Amino acid sequence: MTSTQNVRIPTDGAADGAVAAPSRWRSLGRTLGVVWSNGKARVGIVILGLFVLVAVFAPLLAPYDPKDTSFDRNLDATGAHWLGTTAAGEDVLSQLIFGARISILVGLAAGVLSTLIAVAIGLSWGYLRGFASEVVGFIVNLFLVIPGLPLMIVIAAYLQNGGILMIIAVIVVTGWAWGARVLRSQTQSLRSRDFVTAAQFSGERAPRIVFREILPNMTSLIVGSLFGAATAAILAEAGLEFLGLGDSSIVSWGTMLYWAQNSNALLTGQWALLFAPGLCIALLALSLTLINFGVDAVSNPRLREGKAKK
Amino acid sequence: MTSTEQTVPELVDGLLDVRDLSVVYESPGAAPVQAVDHVSFTLKRGEFVGLVGESGSGKSTLGFALTRLQKPPARTNGGKIFFDGSDIRELDTEMLRKQRQGGFAMVLQSGMNALNPVRTIRNHFLDIFRAHGHVAPADREARAAELVRKVELEPSVLARYPGELSGGMRQRVSIALALSLEPQLMVFDEPTTALDVLVQHAVMDTIQALQKSENFTAILISHDLGIVLEATERVLVMHEGRIVEDGSSRDILERPQDNYTRMLLSHYADPRADVVELPGFPDRHARVAAGVTRAEAATSEPTVVTRSVRSADSAIVVDHVSKVYPPPRRGEKPVRALDDVSFTLEPGQSLALVGASGSGKSTLAKLVTGIEKPTEGTVRFGDVDVTRLRAKGLRDLRSNVQMVFQDPYAALNPLHTVEYTLSRPIHNMTDLRGDDARARLHELLETVGLTPTETFAQKLPHQLSGGQRQRVVIARALASDPQVLIADEPVSMLDVSLRAGVLALLEDLREKWGVSLLYITHDLLSARLVTDDIMVLHDGRVVERGVTADVLRNPQDDYTIRLLDAVPNPRRLREDVA
Repeated sequence: MTSTQNVRIPTDGAADGAVAAPSRWRSLGRTLGVVWSNGKARVGIVILGLFVLVAVFAPLLAPYDPKDTSFDRNLDATGAHWLGTTAAGEDVLSQLIFGARISILVGLAAGVLSTLIAVAIGLSWGYLRGFASEVVGFIVNLFLVIPGLPLMIVIAAYLQNGGILMIIAVIVVTGWAWGARVLRSQTQSLRSRDFVTAAQFSGERAPRIVFREILPNMTSLIVGSLFGAATAAILAEAGLEFLGLGDSSIVSWGTMLYWAQNSNALLTGQWALLFAPGLCIALLALSLTLINFGVDAVSNPRLREGKAKK
Repeated sequence: MTSTEQTVPELVDGLLDVRDLSVVYESPGAAPVQAVDHVSFTLKRGEFVGLVGESGSGKSTLGFALTRLQKPPARTNGGKIFFDGSDIRELDTEMLRKQRQGGFAMVLQSGMNALNPVRTIRNHFLDIFRAHGHVAPADREARAAELVRKVELEPSVLARYPGELSGGMRQRVSIALALSLEPQLMVFDEPTTALDVLVQHAVMDTIQALQKSENFTAILISHDLGIVLEATERVLVMHEGRIVEDGSSRDILERPQDNYTRMLLSHYADPRADVVELPGFPDRHARVAAGVTRAEAATSEPTVVTRSVRSADSAIVVDHVSKVYPPPRRGEKPVRALDDVSFTLEPGQSLALVGASGSGKSTLAKLVTGIEKPTEGTVRFGDVDVTRLRAKGLRDLRSNVQMVFQDPYAALNPLHTVEYTLSRPIHNMTDLRGDDARARLHELLETVGLTPTETFAQKLPHQLSGGQRQRVVIARALASDPQVLIADEPVSMLDVSLRAGVLALLEDLREKWGVSLLYITHDLLSARLVTDDIMVLHDGRVVERGVTADVLRNPQDDYTIRLLDAVPNPRRLREDVA
């Protein structure tokens, strides 16, 4: 070792002493801080938090059993029934509160599942080259060009009232392809980085390079695609239920719309029957979209707010 | 805004007066950093001044503050900047915009990428003329042609799009654009750093000639003291936000006052000299004369304790290799990156592969490591034909042939600790496990001089300096106990003062571990320091080869001579003066 080096290392070490020790929790905390510091994302988090609380504590919050048909039918809003009752004599507010459970469950489950598929396929597709990549590309493009809603309707009709699991499956099958495409292009740009070549020189095998070297560098993109997929899933679930393709005996916002439509709620002047679940669906989807603004700021620091030019 | 020009009497020869200027970076969630710390200096009209410092010294921050181009989180928190008698910190946005004509302009390092790709060069000029209205519409075409001629380009480039021009041409265009506003002060921020060595030299010549003919005042910001000393009359040396030395180029060269300046100067030498010495590097030629050649030293003591048994025949033989890439666009000719190249890298040898960008040297590295396959010819490592290896064979090859990357900032995964980065090749390519593997890891860190090893093992790349990162990259390359190291410009991204350390480390490793080294570079000085033999590549062909010291002292080929001339060397200047 030369003298120049020996002199240098202590000075570098001293400069580094100012930097705090690395910690995964600290970096996670900082990431959440960035999301929270975005005004839009904060609104989204608050709305989403409210819905989750309502869903979790539905039995405590709901004034009645949502399937209790013992009330007078087609009541307008009263003190006992804030949003009135349905054509079958159920309390609308209780249905709305319990319906949040289905929407959030489907949004979460279908969102996570389709993101997992998108990650697995998108990353391998981006990392592979040559013929294998063409094959994967063909399949993904096939799913992208088929119109989503008709495919969903066909599958749902074929599976005949499979309940909530069937709905989730249909949404996952039709919903992963777009995410896979987005993740693939990011993988392609990351795979040409030196540190990926260096990992090859370290003797790493392809799966490990994809999932240990490349994947952690696109976390925020994956989280963003998760929120996007969850939003799409919530909307698709409501749409399928509204068309009567799900199990119409469960209580969800989609089935509420279905029954409201069947009983001509608008003609009878019971607008709350359509308006309340519709608004909830829109708000839940909106909250996830707003949170994505904050997630974008994590992956692209230039989008961070609160740094206006002085 | 011509009034300022007219009101200031010509007798005043001071153009810029900076007093106690301080600039601070205030990023949310981080401690504020005082990047420029109470800097004062004055500039006379028509002066050409260099501003030198290593990365992080605050030189670019100062340049941005002077031209009012700084953006948050940077903030000027003290001092005054008098330009032509008025404090430019007090200008409002519109006054600032107006004074860009006849005031101050800046040419950026990435200025060549600042051109709008969908507008022709002519449109760039017309936009500026229209915005300031200082050229009559009828004269605009002629003025644009005159400007591009000033930067030594044909007027025909006006009709071209930026994508059709080379990097050097684009940088010339951006200089011409800055000139079109007839500035009194031009700030050049690393105007040639992103360009190829030979082009760098030509662009610097243009800038110097322009400064003399147009007689504007200029500040040249650069990390390279050699370039600055060659080009400018007066030099400011910046270190950690302060100006540590301010003097004429000749004074700084001959009588440097500050230790930091002296340290910077000590890292320059002429690769053509008979004896080349840098801090930490005794002259190679002297050692060779004393009978201890590197190859001998390596083969005479090939077994250091940690070395595994290696096969006897481990030379890399490149045999009549050509590489042709498909044409970049339809209708163009295929690109011939390498043309019939042959060489042998013996065990323990160190060979320099030298050339400007586009000479095919990096392509050769890719072929030798099996990343790409040659179009013709073979590459062999011992008995193995590298060109026929599949995934499994390549992994075996890479336990013997390792690579040190050019950019230490890109070669480490930002999310993995040093420990993880180093433990993977140990796990994959050796049989060491558990405590043995950990011992090996710490041994590697110690080898590359990152002590205390326990502290460095836990760090993430962003907590390390460039030099430290490059050491980690080298440690990773050594983890599999390779026989050959391919170093692709390992020091070109590092500050001058860090280069010697990394080079000395490579040299040391070769001596102690008997590794052979293929050193790819455009920097002839470093090639002279760490290699025995040299091969000069030009347009994919070998134009000259031989013993490094001989080739550099008596270059035969024109291309080698041009490369040698492009090496910035303050001492050559001193000899010219003497």
